[in-house]
Amino acid sequence: MKYSFSRKQLAIPYAIFLVLFVILPLVVVLFYGFTDGDGNISFHNFIAFFQSKKTVGTLLYSLVIAVITTVICLLLAYPTAYILAKFKVKTGPAMLMLFVMPMWINFTLRITALKEILDLLEGNLAMHSYANTIICMVYDFLPFMILPIYNTIAKLDNSYIEAAEDLGASKAYVFMRVILPLTLPGIVSGVTMVFLPSMTNYVVLDMVYNSTYIMGSLIGSYFSSYDWHNGSVISIILLIIIGIITAISARFTETGSRGSKRSAIN
Amino acid sequence: MNVLKNKMKKLIFAALGLTLAVGVLTGCESEEDDVIVLRVSNWEEYMDEGDWDEEEAMDINDEVTIYGEQSLVEDYEEWFYETYGKRVRVEYSTFGTNEELYNQITLGDVYDVVCPSEYMIMKMMTEDMVLPFSDDFYDMDNENNYYVRNVSPYIQDRLSNLEIEGNTLDKYASCYMWGTLGIVYNPEYVSEEEASHWNLLLNQDYYRQVTIKDSVRDAYFAGSAMYYYDTLMDEDFINSEDYFEQLDSMINATDADTVNGVEEILSQAQKNVYSFETDAGKADMVTGKVVANQQWSGDAVYTLDQAEEDGLILCYSAPVEATNLWFDGWCMLKSGIDGDADKQLAAEAFVNYMAKPESAIRNMYYIGYTSSIAGVTDGLILDYIEYTFGAEEDDEEAVAYDIGYFFGEDELLVMTPEDQVNRQFGAQYPTIDIVNRSVVMAYFNKEGNERINRMWTNVRCFDLDSLFN
Repeated sequence: MKYSFSRKQLAIPYAIFLVLFVILPLVVVLFYGFTDGDGNISFHNFIAFFQSKKTVGTLLYSLVIAVITTVICLLLAYPTAYILAKFKVKTGPAMLMLFVMPMWINFTLRITALKEILDLLEGNLAMHSYANTIICMVYDFLPFMILPIYNTIAKLDNSYIEAAEDLGASKAYVFMRVILPLTLPGIVSGVTMVFLPSMTNYVVLDMVYNSTYIMGSLIGSYFSSYDWHNGSVISIILLIIIGIITAISARFTETGSRGSKRSAIN
Repeated sequence: MNVLKNKMKKLIFAALGLTLAVGVLTGCESEEDDVIVLRVSNWEEYMDEGDWDEEEAMDINDEVTIYGEQSLVEDYEEWFYETYGKRVRVEYSTFGTNEELYNQITLGDVYDVVCPSEYMIMKMMTEDMVLPFSDDFYDMDNENNYYVRNVSPYIQDRLSNLEIEGNTLDKYASCYMWGTLGIVYNPEYVSEEEASHWNLLLNQDYYRQVTIKDSVRDAYFAGSAMYYYDTLMDEDFINSEDYFEQLDSMINATDADTVNGVEEILSQAQKNVYSFETDAGKADMVTGKVVANQQWSGDAVYTLDQAEEDGLILCYSAPVEATNLWFDGWCMLKSGIDGDADKQLAAEAFVNYMAKPESAIRNMYYIGYTSSIAGVTDGLILDYIEYTFGAEEDDEEAVAYDIGYFFGEDELLVMTPEDQVNRQFGAQYPTIDIVNRSVVMAYFNKEGNERINRMWTNVRCFDLDSLFN
């Protein structure tokens, strides 16, 4: 009895945090999203968002950036994480450190440096602003993809692979039917960590001279003109998108890897 | 000017300040109760913080040496005690944009004195947030009233012409810095003629080589000057009797036709320019990434100085169609002063101390913007102008540059090196021709504001139609 009581007590700081910084802001966002300037409940802001070609264009533009960034990150991160985790490279931990270390440096600083390199290669950066956006996003978010995948692969029980091989599966078959499904939780948490930020991180676009708005810049622009309602609508739409992604990925992890759920970090 | 050096020093200064602050915090219990606390909010890097190098001291005439030993805020605190016998402590904070300041205030931050731009002052006036200055503030006989005694009559006149809901701005605000909106350009690539028109932003010869400010109002100004180009350049229009009124209503128009026209022009500009920049423009100009960029005159001076240190010569032009004459002004907030007579005295004294010619010179030197102070009582400002921009006596190429209007005189000629006319001097003190074709961009009403913000979103969002064309 005494034990459970003190556990409750321990949870109080987190509960306060949760209410103040998660639930309350969410309520405020929902309130502004579903009201108009006079405080009446209204869906007008949502309808207006989907009726305007420009705002829908921004949604699609951000989605495309996010999908491309996420796919490239995944294609780069998976083999890297696999090699680092599976082949007992002596320098493995050091290598992982090298990949993760950029996370310790402020990203504007990193992108400023990358910008100078791109500037040397390309000349006028504004000529390839879209490609540069993707390059910088990938550079920025790659560690967030590598780390969770590395963790799941490192914890992968080798006996599953050995069993499959003993039963005559080819290397490719083992990978497709055993390794990939078992590491899916890592992929899913990597994807969720990369996808949403790359839809909203407009500082990257600013820095590489891409003047087209993405969802994040749209929120910023509404808020700076005191339009809390439309800004909140964008935030809610982003929430819905991340909700959908989480729902889909939860499905994947359910069916894909019942055994290794514990090793997932999400 | 040693702005970079100043920045370094500023860092060290800030570190020192922090250590001091810790000391003050721990020892603050002993502070007397009768200290007036004045909460000031100003633009970032918009006031001299002192700690100059010894060689930075300026002997601007035989008697006066300008030297910033400690920050202007500290100087003010000492001066206030000496003059009024009361202690004041300034809580100084900064903001990045007018909207940020407004949001801070409406979300509950309390300030006594703030320094927003003219349109934000007008907005706050319509919301009954601003306290007018007292009659004492305008008393010409009081020697401590540095502002009314020294402010440029031209600036004060422009302020008194700005009216909202029957109140004129000169009663609610005192101008701190002012300037124009123009184009910084690299004369190696861009000709003076090209840079004197806003349509440089659309010029395809400079595809992806010119930047525009990422600010709806600045972009809108350039856009509407391009939209009304034919009228604005028409001789009959320029010579018409109600030129000023017409110019004003044209540039400040927010009707649907104008906004749509400007949207089209700015959408074209977006496809042509290097980028809409929030802060990178100055550096990109110096490093040569771009050949021209839209800039406020004060930032232009900073950019020109920086480039000069790297051996690069840049110029500034305020386009001939029209330029945006802007003001940043001190005003007192009702929520902060709250009927406290001592506080109001300290607030008005603060504004006056900043208007002291020595303070104005230190600020101009430090930040590159132009003070509203003409220093008519002691002639210091003119001495500073001659000290900074005057030509050597044996310079045969020197030209006479007239800045009489600023000092309320028909003519006041300063001999200056020829190239200064479209460089730092011209940027800080535009010619009468330029200011005669300048407009103050007022505060738009709610409907107009919404229309312009929508226009801006449309310009900046991804255009789905472009996929199918």
